Amino acid sequence: MTVRNGDHAFRQRWFEFLAPISRKWRIILGSSIWILFFGLWEAAVISGWVNTLLVPSPLQVINTLYELFAEQGFLMDVGISVARILGSFTVACAIAIPLGVLMGSFKTVESFVNPFVSAWRYLPAPAFIPILLMWFGTGELPKLALLFLGVIFFLITLIMDHTSQVRSELIETAMTLGGKRWQILWTVVVPAVLPNIVTSMRQMLAIAWTYLVIAEIIASTSGIGAMMMRARRFLNTDEIMAGILIIGVLGLAFDVMFRWLQRVLFPYLEQEGHA
Amino acid sequence: MNLSHAHGDVPTVTARRASTDEPKLRLESVGKSFHVPRGPAIEAIADVSFTTHENEVCVLLGPSGCGKSTVLRMVAGLEQPTSGNLTLDGQPILGPAQERGMVFQAYTSFDWLTVQQNVEYGMRLNHVPRAERRERASHFIELVGLHRFANTYPRHLSGGMKQRVAIARTLANQPSLLLMDEPFGALDAQTRWQMQELMLSIAEAANTTVLMVTHDIEEAIFLADRIEFMSRHPGTIREEIVPAFKQGRRLRRKEELIGLSGYDDLERHILQLMREQGGDSADH
Repeated sequence: MTVRNGDHAFRQRWFEFLAPISRKWRIILGSSIWILFFGLWEAAVISGWVNTLLVPSPLQVINTLYELFAEQGFLMDVGISVARILGSFTVACAIAIPLGVLMGSFKTVESFVNPFVSAWRYLPAPAFIPILLMWFGTGELPKLALLFLGVIFFLITLIMDHTSQVRSELIETAMTLGGKRWQILWTVVVPAVLPNIVTSMRQMLAIAWTYLVIAEIIASTSGIGAMMMRARRFLNTDEIMAGILIIGVLGLAFDVMFRWLQRVLFPYLEQEGHA
Repeated sequence: MNLSHAHGDVPTVTARRASTDEPKLRLESVGKSFHVPRGPAIEAIADVSFTTHENEVCVLLGPSGCGKSTVLRMVAGLEQPTSGNLTLDGQPILGPAQERGMVFQAYTSFDWLTVQQNVEYGMRLNHVPRAERRERASHFIELVGLHRFANTYPRHLSGGMKQRVAIARTLANQPSLLLMDEPFGALDAQTRWQMQELMLSIAEAANTTVLMVTHDIEEAIFLADRIEFMSRHPGTIREEIVPAFKQGRRLRRKEELIGLSGYDDLERHILQLMREQGGDSADH
């Protein structure tokens, strides 16, 4: 690790401006903050510093999580939650992507749709919960509708902005090569904006999780959020925390999946010598 | 005319002579004004007239803000003139088309396509059969010296190499007029003159007519068969300059310029024009 200049060693310090960090140390440092967090939590419980009824130990939470999956059919709840996310998010993307691309490409489409979309964006989706419950009852529809409303308008705006930022020289080059409008849309605009679309989807999926939990906590008998609300009634704090843990893990898993997708779909974006 | 009489039974000769006498590109009193909200119309370009002939390298030169890029963009069909006529081979220019391919100063390689796919791109738009596409692209990739990088993504190429991709892509599409908007402006000095030499040899090999915009005097003198010098406020052709000292032949290497008598005088003359025109650049 030490770099030498003749008999002298180069200075190696912990805090150095602009200095890169090796992959090994990145992993070591990244894991230690979690070890520290769970360590302090466990220590607080063992020393009797906190009430174990309200704050169960991390090991207890892990144990509960195992029991939830093994004995109480928690997998079903997780499956329902994931299905709700995927279902409504797919519908939202199927509308937002084509619409956003067209709005970002053609000023006429933007002028027609954007006044509508930007007004809806400022309405918080949970404001619609009472009316959604009245319209759709307590089935799957109000949850899917909430997720959809919470995501769609932001997704459209993000994709529109990214599309309108596709460099004009790229489009003009294709025009002077004899490209027709729809050819240029498909072969220049869409491929140019696609990496940004995937990034926008990644960001909005995180927001979708927020609305999912809200929907399941307020009005649901199934799903991760509903399980947590049931646990609250019986003072099962370990089950609530297991629910929080699983939401975090699933969110992270989706994020990792999107990053992987980005690497597979857009190999040309890979930096050379990326550590 | 005597020639056509002597070979009167071969009409194609007559026809070809007639078409080469006719200018390829013709601009007649072209003007363009912009409207600013609640203000008077600003006359950016006024009464620009010039012609470019087949196989000629014509350079639009002038101080920044003289509207030379706007003139080029109007020839490309990317902007509309507010007055005057533009014709290519006698046909009015009504919008961008394959026959007028353009190379920009900004890099325009498509990041998601390899060099080979980039060069094939224009032909794909125009439904050129796959085999011919391959062959023509390879030919032009070879011509710009990028054959070792055919399967590389543009991200891994230097600025000069990206411009070579753009040039190969445009020429492989067989435009009848190659337009270039300060194509080497973003390159370092050494790469720039290498690209200038390369461009001349390619224009020669591909029999291309070139209309190019630059503000680099040396570049203009080195490349041009004819220079249209533009002045500002409004942008118009101030002087047409034929670098006579080259005696109608093209140079191959930049250093050939140095020895030629007449080069210094021409550069001095253009520098004086630039000073006259561009002296008040602070107000722009």
